[in-house]
Amino acid sequence: MTLLDDAKSDTSSPSPSSNTPGKKKRQSPLAVFREMPILVKLSALWVLLIVVGSIYGKIDVLLDDVLPLQDPILQTNAFNPDTLEFGTGTPSENPSLTHWLGTDSIARDGFARIVHGSWVSLIVALVSATFGIVVGGFLGSLVGFVRGKTETIIMSLIDVILAFPALVLLLAMVSIFEVRNLYVISLVIGFLSIPAYTRVARANSLAISNREFVLAAQAIGTKPSKILFREIIPNVYQSLLSYALVAAAFVIVVEGTLSFLGLSVQLPTPTWGNMINEARSNINLTVWPVVWPSLALTFTVLSFNQIGDFFQKRNAVRGSAL
Amino acid sequence: MEKRRLARLLALLMAFALVAAACGGGSDAGSDGAVDSDGGGDDAATTVPETDTEVATTVAPEASKFGGELVMALEAEATGLRPWEDTCSAPCYNMSIAVFDKLTEQDIDGNYQPYLAESLSSNDDFTEWTMTLRPGVVFHNGVELTGQTIVDMFALQQEGAAGSGGISAANLATVEATGDLEVVYSLSQPNSAFPATLSRAPVGMVFEPAAAAADPDGSAIAPVGTGPFMVTDRDVDNETVMTRNPNYWQTDAAGDQLPYLDSIVFRPTPDEGTRLAALVSGTVNGMHTLRQSTIRDARAEDGISLLEFQGNNVGGGMYNTAVAPYDDVRVRRALTMMNSQDKVIEALGGTGISDPATQWFSKDSPWYSDKVAAAYPGFDFPGGQSLLQEYVDDPARSDGKAVGEKIEVELSCPPDPTLIAAMQVIEQAWTASELVDVNLTNFDQQTHIGYALGAPPDFTGQHGAHCWRFSSDSDPSVDINPAVAPPTPEIAAAAGIPDIVSPLNFTNYFDGDVFTAAVAALRTDNFEERYGLYESIMLKFAEDVPGWYSGHTATMIATAENVNGFNGWLLPSGDVGIGFPAAEGRYHEVWISE
Repeated sequence: MTLLDDAKSDTSSPSPSSNTPGKKKRQSPLAVFREMPILVKLSALWVLLIVVGSIYGKIDVLLDDVLPLQDPILQTNAFNPDTLEFGTGTPSENPSLTHWLGTDSIARDGFARIVHGSWVSLIVALVSATFGIVVGGFLGSLVGFVRGKTETIIMSLIDVILAFPALVLLLAMVSIFEVRNLYVISLVIGFLSIPAYTRVARANSLAISNREFVLAAQAIGTKPSKILFREIIPNVYQSLLSYALVAAAFVIVVEGTLSFLGLSVQLPTPTWGNMINEARSNINLTVWPVVWPSLALTFTVLSFNQIGDFFQKRNAVRGSAL
Repeated sequence: MEKRRLARLLALLMAFALVAAACGGGSDAGSDGAVDSDGGGDDAATTVPETDTEVATTVAPEASKFGGELVMALEAEATGLRPWEDTCSAPCYNMSIAVFDKLTEQDIDGNYQPYLAESLSSNDDFTEWTMTLRPGVVFHNGVELTGQTIVDMFALQQEGAAGSGGISAANLATVEATGDLEVVYSLSQPNSAFPATLSRAPVGMVFEPAAAAADPDGSAIAPVGTGPFMVTDRDVDNETVMTRNPNYWQTDAAGDQLPYLDSIVFRPTPDEGTRLAALVSGTVNGMHTLRQSTIRDARAEDGISLLEFQGNNVGGGMYNTAVAPYDDVRVRRALTMMNSQDKVIEALGGTGISDPATQWFSKDSPWYSDKVAAAYPGFDFPGGQSLLQEYVDDPARSDGKAVGEKIEVELSCPPDPTLIAAMQVIEQAWTASELVDVNLTNFDQQTHIGYALGAPPDFTGQHGAHCWRFSSDSDPSVDINPAVAPPTPEIAAAAGIPDIVSPLNFTNYFDGDVFTAAVAALRTDNFEERYGLYESIMLKFAEDVPGWYSGHTATMIATAENVNGFNGWLLPSGDVGIGFPAAEGRYHEVWISE
């Protein structure tokens, strides 16, 4: 793993406070976007679209369906107590002007469900990444810096968790909770993300701990805790952010897997995974209810991977210039 | 057809893309989460067009009819093949029935006839049944079947998890060998339907007791019976291979020794789509299903034969009447009235396959009652809403909530996609009343059943509104009597029958008159009398609504076109057998044409 600063800032001064790698001037997001290859640009646009869509869907829910988006859980052929009649919606309908992505087996709008399902995927990715970065990042930075028995104990625990089949552990933990809402699922996945983040952070921390500015800080008698929080962690975290993009892709797939197995957020909340699961029994009637969430999941995962790879390579190039 | 194949290919590509994306995520998480789909389900049932129920004429087999291998895809693996120990559902019955013979079997009209037994008769009050076994029958290991075999089996059955339940339900007290081939069953209470007990696995399937006692665990893998096939290789969750029993006791109408097939391979294939695809592609040449959506999809395929069956088994759900708010009949009736059976059946993929059900008997059953059909609370949303409003506004409401507060309902089904769709249909209907907060849950089938069963001593379960299947094509007493007996020791004591507690009363519904009628139905073999008693029970069910129904479960065995003999097989008496109820095939007359 590499540092995120240029050579000048690293070598010009031993001062830990003014010239450490984390203090450099940042590029604007637009400049970074321009730097991206076309595939990564498309990926970034897709992720942006998903983020905007999920927020739009959430606002629609919070404002009680005021925005022009259909209700994702309304069965359009169900009995309406107000009119005392059944709705006229058709189950397993192909895409049309009324239902852009068609309807599912119980006549719910496919587009609305895709949009609302994206909220689940993104929240799970965000919460688990935050959890992993904060907890895993701190633990990894700590053990990489202090070494010794602390490292042995913590990394042994991390190795034990890593040695256990991840999906089995995840299923076991999810099954413990009687209420499986979005935040419980996110925290469980986040907890299981900690070992991976810890390992990445430790590797970075080991490298940074031997850098000149850290050695200089130690030489002038700076307290270890101050070095950890002001020199090690800020640099480790920048690398972790790149890693988090790749990890987010994996987490989205994990949530999709849980949903597919009926172990993610409770019904009738739409998620891409449970949409695929529910639609597979009608695949002989229409494939669209399987195709749309699969595409959304695939493009999102692919996009996060592309963006994550881009930032990792970008940082690696900059690090190699040191 | 081409379009559908293309669509399927596209879907497969999607699935592949999904896997590829997962790999791109940089981890090795596998996903093997197939869920067993047998059992508790709101499986809409169906009126099955009597496809292929015409009785095939049994033709004397030519030499070419012998031989061949049937590869049968089943919806789940059998947990074990020990009739006295392992709970047996449809997949298990398919495998067990090839290895074990039953003492009695049903004919095409549902009547019980001797099978491995040669004769069976009772005393006047149905407390003693005398059975004579067929001579010259030997087990797969060469041991001869005698009356003492049945006595030795009984010792194991009393200790077995499945056997002890069957013995208790049948009021069976002792078994005595009164001759080489004669056995007397003594019952603690009259039971005119005892022959039905001898047609099911726990008590009726005949196994070699010495082999079973010598290696109880091994018997789950390599059981020894008298059936037409012998287990030669069993790789659990992969495949079980059975080969022809050369010493089988049955012959066909022409006197040729059965079975025709050289071997059968049973492969558990839990995913419904995969199982059907395996048949269509020729990977297997037989499969079964208890799902309407699979029957619907199979009907659209060419080049396969469908054997559909719609019996008494009915899908739907039950209320745990031991807990609030389901302990109030107004709540149960209201929830049932707000539930559109047609929409649920549509979600289950059963439109055109399943008829809405009103009772535990299908319209084709001799036990079906028009009076019950008229009494069952059908879809009446406003009516249900006002009934529920009455409960919600009742200061003495049983759930302890404040007047006007919504009731809370936990609706749970196994995680089959069609059941998930169906439960969301019900959830939306109940939620639309604005009087119900619905919490949807899914648990794997074992857990789902476990929640309904509960734990001793009360067995009241942890369920609320619970997807379930009721009834079968056995005698009504087999399913109804345990379901109406006292569910807890307290209720039993209060009813003055402290010795009778039924863990199989999953709804915890108890009514003295209903129980009395169920007991009375075991004291007579007069059909009219028994019909009246069971009709009275069904009428009470329609009034008190311990459960709701969607439709009668359509089942199907589908095979390659050259597979014959699942239909029209003969009993030893020469009468035509029941066929393939509940997707349970009989394999002794199955043959493969060229």
